[in-house]
Amino acid sequence: MKVDFQTVILKLQEFWSQKGCVILQPYDAEVGAGTFHPATTLKALGPKPWRAAYVQPSRRPGDGRYGENPNRLYRHHQYQVLLKPSPGDIQDVYLDSLRYIGLDPILHDVRFVEDDWESPTLGAAGLGWEVWAGGQEVTQFTYFQQVGGFPCEPVSVELTYGLERLIMTLQGIENVYDLAWNDPVGPSPMTYGDVAQQMEREFSAFSFEHLDAPIVFRHFEDAESMCNQLITNKLVLPAYEYCLKASHLFNLLDARGALSVTERANYIGRVRALAHACCTLWMENACG
Amino acid sequence: MLVAEWLFEILSEEIPSRMQEAAQEQLKSLAETELQAEGLGFETIRTFVTPRRLTLVVEGLPLKTPERVEEKKGPRVGAPVQAIEGFLKTAGVSREACDILDTPKGQFLSVTIKQSGQLTESILSKMALSLLEKFRWPKSMRWGSSPITWVRPLRGLLCVFNGKVVSFSYAGIESSNTTQGHRFLAPTPFEVQNFKDYKKKLRDHFVILDWQERRQIVQAGVAKVAGELTPLKDESLLDEVTGLVEWPVPLKGKVDEHFMNLPLEVITTPMRVHQRYFPLMDNQGKLAPYFGVVANVEAPDQGKTIVIGNERVLRARLADAQFFWEQDQKQPLEHFNVSLKTRLFHQHLGSVFAKVERLVKLSTQMAERGGADPKIVGRAALLSKADLASQMVNEFPEVQGIMGRYYAQNQKENAEVARALEEQYWPKASGGKTPDTLPSLILAMADRLDTLVGFFAIGITPTGSKDPFALRRAGLGLIALALNPRFTLSMLEALGWAYECYPWNEFAIPQLKNKEETLADLWKFLLERFKFFLRDVQGSPYDHVDAVLSVANQNPNLFDLSLRVKALDQLMDGEDGKNLLVAYKRASNILKIEEDKDKCIYEGQVKEELFDLDEESELFKNLSQKLPEIEDFVKKGEFVKAVQDLATLRSVIDRFFDKVVVNTEDKNKRVNRLHLLAYFRRTLHQVADFSKIEG
Repeated sequence: MKVDFQTVILKLQEFWSQKGCVILQPYDAEVGAGTFHPATTLKALGPKPWRAAYVQPSRRPGDGRYGENPNRLYRHHQYQVLLKPSPGDIQDVYLDSLRYIGLDPILHDVRFVEDDWESPTLGAAGLGWEVWAGGQEVTQFTYFQQVGGFPCEPVSVELTYGLERLIMTLQGIENVYDLAWNDPVGPSPMTYGDVAQQMEREFSAFSFEHLDAPIVFRHFEDAESMCNQLITNKLVLPAYEYCLKASHLFNLLDARGALSVTERANYIGRVRALAHACCTLWMENACG
Repeated sequence: MLVAEWLFEILSEEIPSRMQEAAQEQLKSLAETELQAEGLGFETIRTFVTPRRLTLVVEGLPLKTPERVEEKKGPRVGAPVQAIEGFLKTAGVSREACDILDTPKGQFLSVTIKQSGQLTESILSKMALSLLEKFRWPKSMRWGSSPITWVRPLRGLLCVFNGKVVSFSYAGIESSNTTQGHRFLAPTPFEVQNFKDYKKKLRDHFVILDWQERRQIVQAGVAKVAGELTPLKDESLLDEVTGLVEWPVPLKGKVDEHFMNLPLEVITTPMRVHQRYFPLMDNQGKLAPYFGVVANVEAPDQGKTIVIGNERVLRARLADAQFFWEQDQKQPLEHFNVSLKTRLFHQHLGSVFAKVERLVKLSTQMAERGGADPKIVGRAALLSKADLASQMVNEFPEVQGIMGRYYAQNQKENAEVARALEEQYWPKASGGKTPDTLPSLILAMADRLDTLVGFFAIGITPTGSKDPFALRRAGLGLIALALNPRFTLSMLEALGWAYECYPWNEFAIPQLKNKEETLADLWKFLLERFKFFLRDVQGSPYDHVDAVLSVANQNPNLFDLSLRVKALDQLMDGEDGKNLLVAYKRASNILKIEEDKDKCIYEGQVKEELFDLDEESELFKNLSQKLPEIEDFVKKGEFVKAVQDLATLRSVIDRFFDKVVVNTEDKNKRVNRLHLLAYFRRTLHQVADFSKIEG
């Protein structure tokens, strides 16, 4: 079975498409995790059923290692699935998805290990596990209990596959940059390094050395005030997009070491307030 | 009587390991309570837990409950119609069915209600529901569209009594006689007749039901794969791993040799805490380049893929650790203090660096008092929190203090300084080891004094289950440290120093408590914890503890107080102590009665010229000699000698009571004798408040 990076993604798309998910594209703004995509955060709120799956490139400026660390990345890829309400056989379906991409749960000793999830910036929390394959965490499996401070009724289940780790396990390799991105015996084989290493180098240099903090502080202020204006105008999706921007700008400042502890708490509080306002507006409009 | 067995299994998605043992206990006690409330007798009750199931089995239950006969007394025969009708209605009988009850107070209606026995099966179907509803997890959740909560989604309810299904439904699940075995090795559901059948079939389906048995398999299995090596003893890791597997299969993996130069804790922490591996030691007690890992499956390749996978994960973690180890040591440890300035200790109590500055001051002061080198102690305090800003501790918080020690050693800090950086966190758990060297001991105490005083001063104290800053633990730690004989001090004085190390005027806290108030609150809090220690750890009777702690304020040195309680235990063990107590009670009773009567306190000068009898002067002479002696012993902490002195008073006071009448006609003599008794009481109170001791 082929287990190159893009084939695994294609197979996951195929698998979840068959389970009734709408297959979406990544959100086209910088986010720290697939959870931030409005198809998860906002759609998890409210009573309407929803099933979606998509790849989300996720930026963690603090984890950048100039393309030199075999495991840590400025930008990694998550495969995100959200099912509302959570189906009764979701664990079995999830395990089937692993088999579908060629990961045998017996051969890899798949385990569900307690790990409750919380996102202070989103005011979100859930209970679940990290799923292990051969001691490697390959998926975060969470039953959302609340988002934006609102209880999730019904409960959604969120599956976040860490694609790099998962596929490294499948390919049995040590260094992320050695991952086969496409067919390694095809006409133009490419590795993860060929595709992404330059970005890792340059964005690490950007966020650790060349990021101009005063500019980013200003951008944060702008994003925050735009978000607030859009909330006043009851435009929930654009407002939420600016909330995401603020969140990413905060991550940049944090990685640059531009925030003291007190300031850091203060900025988290400001992002949380925006997220909460967006979720409130979403609930008021009965969008879910 | 025919009896039968009830088997109830609650199948769910994976239960967190740390919650399993307590869940097993809770289910048992809930079921016991419910069975008793229903009047259902039984022979045995047992509960079991695995990562996916919580199981109850009750043996020796009757098939139905016994018939119950109840007599209900109603209103008087001639009572108003409404009253009689009301009674008939609630009892559910007609007037004809009633008997007349003759009593001295008149004739009353009465009715005998026979309740026929209920089928146990129908009681159990309600009880199963009630158990599910009453069960409380430390953290529970909702799923799907149901409002019901459980630790993780419920997936099956097996409920069988006497071989038949007890039917009920909960959370959209119908009870049945089927369950599932191992998630991967035998996923097909199967039917179950009874517990014996259940247990055997589970084993056939790759599930070891019994937690203890699984633990045993894990322990023995890891030891076996270790071969000539020995697994590092770690009971809590064993417990945790037992809760992660239904079918434990221990395997052995290898650690890359080039990581073996890293410090022991840096290698074993990711192994134990992050990966749940067992570190293996060689026969010289050195860490070997291997680890034990417990899989949950028997894989067709004998676990080869599993071992390769786990080795790869560990390699990545250790590569990180190696990187941090090298990065952290590119600068002197002290330089990390800079980043402590922007790290909050508490919003109202300043930065971690501000705490470090206080610790330098406080521990230097304590060192000067305790005969330790203030320079060494001060240096240790200055470096005490530096490693919190290191990359290694950031990644592996468990190695705080330990990294401080390694970095300090490598940078040629004084050996005692390096040692104190690690040992400041001791005792790590209740009953844990306290430091043996003075600088470590002083720094450990100073750290807790500073924390406790700071939080108590701003009004944050542990209440009920809420103790977010772990102040109870800090208190217990402080008590354990104060009981180390190498460094003892007046706790109240030390708390006072700690209070004065805070620059309170810089903080501007609206509701700051003053020093007296803070110390009073904190002292009370510490005495409560200390009381618990003396009773439950030292094993002293509670009345001895109360008697000594009643005089604790006179000498607030916990080490001395614990010795004093022990000495009192010893005294009260013997005849002398018991008789002395009888005499004390007699003396203080007389004093109390007379003091109440005369509305005054008899604490005056004894006048020798008013003595009539030899027994009076003998008692007086003895007390005059012993009191200063005892005072002196107490001051020196020589409590055994002090109580030995007390014991010698026994015969003297006995003779006094034999011969002397206290309440004599002569007023002056009476008062003088009361003063003498008060003198006796005062002497005993040097050691403890004897009125608190039960005789």
